[in-house]
Amino acid sequence: MSAEIEDLLKRYQNYPNVSGIIILDPFAIPIKTTMEYTLTVHYAALISTLTYKAAKMITNLDASNELVTIRLRTKVHEVIVLPSENYIIIVVQNPGT
Amino acid sequence: MSAEVEELLKRFQSMKNVTGIVVVDNDGIPIKTTLDYTLTLHYAALMQTVREKARQVVLDLDATNEFTFLRLRTEQNEVMLCPQEDYFIMVIQSPCD
Repeated sequence: MSAEIEDLLKRYQNYPNVSGIIILDPFAIPIKTTMEYTLTVHYAALISTLTYKAAKMITNLDASNELVTIRLRTKVHEVIVLPSENYIIIVVQNPGT
Repeated sequence: MSAEVEELLKRFQSMKNVTGIVVVDNDGIPIKTTLDYTLTLHYAALMQTVREKARQVVLDLDATNEFTFLRLRTEQNEVMLCPQEDYFIMVIQSPCD
């Protein structure tokens, strides 16, 4: 699995405008990060609770449906979350628009 | 506001793949909808909590930042949420991959 994660990190890191990548395990513990540590922990705690809430909402509406991606846009940046079975990938980017 | 909302509804409704539009005020009461009533209430209640959670997440990370848009991609459809001052707009579409 760690080789897979390394591959993901390399791939996403090369995209333009990407300012940070965090990979969490299912217990919201950061296992890889390109950001500073306190900011990583802050993002991990907040984004993981939002992810669980959104996933629960989707299954509440339709039990056969499943959350694939969250894209949270703010004035300053954009946070993309990819929850999967073994880890959660958080990518923070600054859109050029 | 109602003229503004009507205009938005017309514009979104004419787009391809859009299967539902719901406008919800800040108390979680749907004021405009193209879905049936039960499904509207279900979506409105759930998205109200997700919207508030997303707003808190963004403010907690950076107090000067502001939550502007949320996109939840699921296997079967895509739910988009755009908060405004007095209400928020939810658009549900089937993804055109």
